[in-house]
Amino acid sequence: MPALFVSDLHLCSGRPGKLALFIKLLQEAAGRQDALYILGDLFEAWAGDDDDTPPHPEIISALADFTRAGSSLFIMRGNRDFLLGRNFAAKTGGKLIDDPTVVELGGKKLLLMHGDTLCTGDIKYQIYRRIVNNRFTINLFLTVPFVLRRRIWHGIRGMTRGTAPGKPPSIVDVHQATVEKTMRKYRVHDLIHGHTHRQGVQEFLLDDQKARRYVLGDWYEGDSVLVASENGLRLMGVQEYLKL
Amino acid sequence: MKVQLVTKLGGITLELDAKRAPRTVENFVSYVRSGHYNGTIFHRVVEDFVIQGGGLDRNMKEKPTKPPIRNEANNGLSNLWGTVAMARTSDPHSASAQFFINTTDNAFLDFSAETDDRWGYCVFGKVVDGMDVVEKIEDVKTTTRSGYQDVPEEIVLIEKAEVIEE
Repeated sequence: MPALFVSDLHLCSGRPGKLALFIKLLQEAAGRQDALYILGDLFEAWAGDDDDTPPHPEIISALADFTRAGSSLFIMRGNRDFLLGRNFAAKTGGKLIDDPTVVELGGKKLLLMHGDTLCTGDIKYQIYRRIVNNRFTINLFLTVPFVLRRRIWHGIRGMTRGTAPGKPPSIVDVHQATVEKTMRKYRVHDLIHGHTHRQGVQEFLLDDQKARRYVLGDWYEGDSVLVASENGLRLMGVQEYLKL
Repeated sequence: MKVQLVTKLGGITLELDAKRAPRTVENFVSYVRSGHYNGTIFHRVVEDFVIQGGGLDRNMKEKPTKPPIRNEANNGLSNLWGTVAMARTSDPHSASAQFFINTTDNAFLDFSAETDDRWGYCVFGKVVDGMDVVEKIEDVKTTTRSGYQDVPEEIVLIEKAEVIEE
């Protein structure tokens, strides 16, 4: 069953320490873990699969090494990197997965999401998402020359090439009713997501059964990884995982 | 006050907190004394959650109960490992005879507000002897039976429930 889950790394050249930590995690896990699931916002900003802004090539190379060692890589698009496409998947040897996706590990069904669609209380964001994150808008944006796309997308994210680390924004939390409705729809009692940057595990009753919502932490100041093993699911810091 | 539940897998002794859950303890003890629990089963066993019983007989038929009691979950007691609490439907004040034993810390079952969805489940005592028996029950294989999920394949009967210390 061994699998790792991470999200919201927001990797960029402004935070070299976190970049190095992620590469170390990949090197440690390569060949040891069956799979790594990245549930969105791996990158602080991704302006298209031709986005070779540093440190993107380095990350792609490290991911390719990971899959070459025999481990599987599954990547979900987040709200920062929803422009990730087939070329990225091919270069890394990974597979893009839908949001949401249900996987079965160790006989248990897990619902995987980035998490932004659960924040239905944030009406402004949900409207923005509907406009920006649809095939038509994406395809239109991808016809814009890369240099201009990068300036627009990285600029929107408050980043210029190789400088600003990107401030973590405050994000509205998930709406519990939406969480429960979604879990019922996919008939699961275990949900793993990121996006809200509120790391932790929330237990609650869902139709008389214990349900768990695992929230992956962001890598702005801290870092976190969810480790799935025969003993269940455990959230921990990356350093703790590296010591296992 | 102590009540003992006798099962084939062993005995479970519950120490009841009449100070913090007076109505609930009085209600539970009345079912014990009337013999209601004798011949009921632990019909719902969920690993890493609860074992629940006291309501159905070995043929999965609900035994008749008295009217439900008012929820006393706002008594400061938490649904921690080894505590015993009243089961109920989604109506916060629907507890009658069924109870459950927490086999892990389930703080999310605690009272947090007097609203339908946050009333929580009333803890009224704890297991002081026989937690190993609870764990044996927790480990049994389960199936779906008569529309109920998580039913032990092999019946876990409460042979007798009795007050052993006033």
